[in-house]
Amino acid sequence: MSTALTQMVARLLLAPILLVALAVLVKGYASVGDGFAAGVIAALGILLQYLAFGREEVERLLPVRLIPAAGFAGLVGALALAAWPLLRGEPLFTHLPRAGSEVTKLGTLELTSAIAFDLTVFVLVLGAAVGIVHAIARESEEGET
Amino acid sequence: MLARSPSRGLAALALVAAVVGFAAAAWIWSEGGGAVDVPWSPSLDARLHFRLDGLAALYSLIATGVGAAVVLYSWRYLPLHLSHQDRPGRDQVRFYALLLLFMVSMVGLATAQDLLLVFVFWDLTAVASYFLIAYDRHEGESRWAALMALLVTGITGALLLIAALVLHAELGTFSLPEIFARARPGSTLTVASALIAVAAFAKSAQVPFHFWLPRAMSAPTPVSAYLHSAAMVAAGVLLIGRAYPLLERSAPVLDAMVAVGFASMLVGGVLALTRDRLKQILAYSTFAQYGYVVFMYGLGSATGAVGAGLYVLAHALAKSALFLTAGSVTEATGGEQRLSELGGLARRLPVLAAASAAAAAAVAALPLTLGFFADELFFKAALERGWPFAAMAVAGAALTFAYLGRLWGGVFLGPPSAAQLRPLPWQMVAPIAALALLLVAGGVVVAPFEDLAEAAGASSLGAPAKGGAAYHLDARPENLMALSSYGLGTLALLYAAASDRVLRALATAGARFGPERLYGEGLAFLNRLSDRVHELEVRDLRSRVAAVLVPAGGLVALALVAGPRSGGYRVGSLTGDDVALALVLAFSMLIALATTIPRNHVTLFLALSALGFALAVAYAFFGGPDVALVAVLVETLFALLFLGVFSLLPSEVLRREAALSTRGSRRWRDPLVGVLSGAVVFVLVWSTLSVPARGRAVGEEHVRLASDAHAKDAVTAILADFRALDTLVEVSVVAVGLAGVVSLLRRGRLW
Repeated sequence: MSTALTQMVARLLLAPILLVALAVLVKGYASVGDGFAAGVIAALGILLQYLAFGREEVERLLPVRLIPAAGFAGLVGALALAAWPLLRGEPLFTHLPRAGSEVTKLGTLELTSAIAFDLTVFVLVLGAAVGIVHAIARESEEGET
Repeated sequence: MLARSPSRGLAALALVAAVVGFAAAAWIWSEGGGAVDVPWSPSLDARLHFRLDGLAALYSLIATGVGAAVVLYSWRYLPLHLSHQDRPGRDQVRFYALLLLFMVSMVGLATAQDLLLVFVFWDLTAVASYFLIAYDRHEGESRWAALMALLVTGITGALLLIAALVLHAELGTFSLPEIFARARPGSTLTVASALIAVAAFAKSAQVPFHFWLPRAMSAPTPVSAYLHSAAMVAAGVLLIGRAYPLLERSAPVLDAMVAVGFASMLVGGVLALTRDRLKQILAYSTFAQYGYVVFMYGLGSATGAVGAGLYVLAHALAKSALFLTAGSVTEATGGEQRLSELGGLARRLPVLAAASAAAAAAVAALPLTLGFFADELFFKAALERGWPFAAMAVAGAALTFAYLGRLWGGVFLGPPSAAQLRPLPWQMVAPIAALALLLVAGGVVVAPFEDLAEAAGASSLGAPAKGGAAYHLDARPENLMALSSYGLGTLALLYAAASDRVLRALATAGARFGPERLYGEGLAFLNRLSDRVHELEVRDLRSRVAAVLVPAGGLVALALVAGPRSGGYRVGSLTGDDVALALVLAFSMLIALATTIPRNHVTLFLALSALGFALAVAYAFFGGPDVALVAVLVETLFALLFLGVFSLLPSEVLRREAALSTRGSRRWRDPLVGVLSGAVVFVLVWSTLSVPARGRAVGEEHVRLASDAHAKDAVTAILADFRALDTLVEVSVVAVGLAGVVSLLRRGRLW
């Protein structure tokens, strides 16, 4: 099913797909996109690798076993981000810096704690999607043997 | 030896934790008490409010002090217990962790000053006790007993929550001091008090909820000694003491407490005379003793409140010592638990015999023990109320005297049993001796114990209270009552020995027709109901979908018919700009209709996917690029995942499922369910869109605020900031989904 052509295309596309995901993630605060969409895009890119190369090859090429674990770490991060304003006696999800105050900029990207939250969403969605794909791939292989 | 060393460390750690807890409680109490008050949910006026007042000090000291004794006892008991059952030493971790959790939740319950907090710790004790009772989880009886304890105390625990909500609705606060200050006599107060009292009765195993306690004796001995003497069961009377300012304002509740307490004394006392297993006797005795406490609170006097505190203290010390004695005797005799097979151990286990004699004497209220003073206040409080109450008190005390005489005499006196005795490690005698020494010390110098009880009474009453326990060598009524209870108790003991059969018949009748039968039948009924619903709902996927759609559709339809209809159903107009959108929607509609045709799963799923993409296009036209992007991405991912999952299913299953719909009644049922629920949703959406004004205002507000959140894109600002909590919950669901899918595919493993 997988030919040399699809393998080549898949390999060529991986970096651009991840780049697009990153762009959607960081541009989210200025235009269309957010962590969720970026996570799905990146997951689709990795899913393509599974289709082209098979599970074992992908496991060799990419740290796919770590990605779901990173997803759970993302969940922990999201919960921590939600809860830490409580330590200062403020409501959940009081993002910093506050409205109207100065923001550190990285290029045109404004660094706020909301971006960090979006990042955890990205990691979580990516981790969940890759984890499910991996489990399905492993199970279908075991079914065949 | 090597395997045992880590568990020793564990026991030591738990012991240190308990002792430190005890020392901390004692120190804070000696410094005049302390309080922590942190806002929790200000809009509900729920606070994380803990205060070490007299009542809290009493119960915290009991929980940590008896806890330390029990941990010391478990040091050697638990390895023996596990080795008798061929279980690994690491099972100890669970035991100590749960015991400490229980201790912490008990201290939390004792110190909590917020009704919501009380409820949380209340349930935490129930959860910890569930796992502790079911510690021997390979035994069905233990699991059954644990479930019973959890259900009886958990379901009634919900009544406590209801009471908290009722009071909150009326008074607008969960804070107990505030509630006491604001509550006015009335039906709300009576209802709330009654609910709290019922919850307390169940926890303290009072009649008619008493049946769970004897069952719970299938727990290991240290658990019984701790939970069923000093802690879990004491939580019920603790709640009564804590909520006493409410309860005392409704006379019916107080009267009910007197009645329930007396019934528990009688039932527990009579049944304890008929039991043969040591721990069973102690279990029946325990709820009879807590019957005393409930009875004293029910008398509604200051003496009663102080007496309740002193009684709880004396009983916790004495009864845990007796439970531990039962465990030691059973261990020494190689597993013998039956009174009829034991006897004559006084000569061979002198320290244990002496210590348990002191404990039994304390419960039976003999002079020179703390129990005497506890009973003195008990008699005094009953007498203050009137002679019928005094008679009840003497009857209860006589029964107590009788079954304790039977228990202690049966184990330690009489002809010695021939069996060889195993040596007892010192850790299984020392805690009992320590508890006994405390009881005797209290019998000589009552002041420190009474001070604590008076402080506990004062926090229940909201005013300083005096007990006035002392030895009086004269013929005052309390002394006469004590003497007559000893005399009657001796008579009862002789009578019980003579008429064993009558009492046993009574016990059998109680077991067969009593509340336990109601519990069993209720549980069986719920099981049957659940099976029936399960059968109806999950016979196949379509039934399950129908089981969601039909009730949901019915409820929504009811809301649409009965609810207020402002604006009604408007039909808008179509302008030239809307043509593209209308075309896309018409196309989506066609695809939606087309999804009803295919029988093959893959085709069906592709049709559904096409519908998703068509709707994504509609979002794009409607001016929601963010939504459209996510819709396209999610559709793509789901399409691929579904195809992957289909590849896992055996093809004959797919074929069989595909053929299902063409048979029998389903032919009409499924389309009918689909059409009706679709129609309801259509009407719902129509009516919602007919009143768009408010939704639009919210949207504009969000767009306006986006720049405050340092965002140029309002949608992202909504997701990551304004409605970040929603997003958090949604992505948590994603993580749960991952765990669910992976563990399903990997048959229970997570990776």
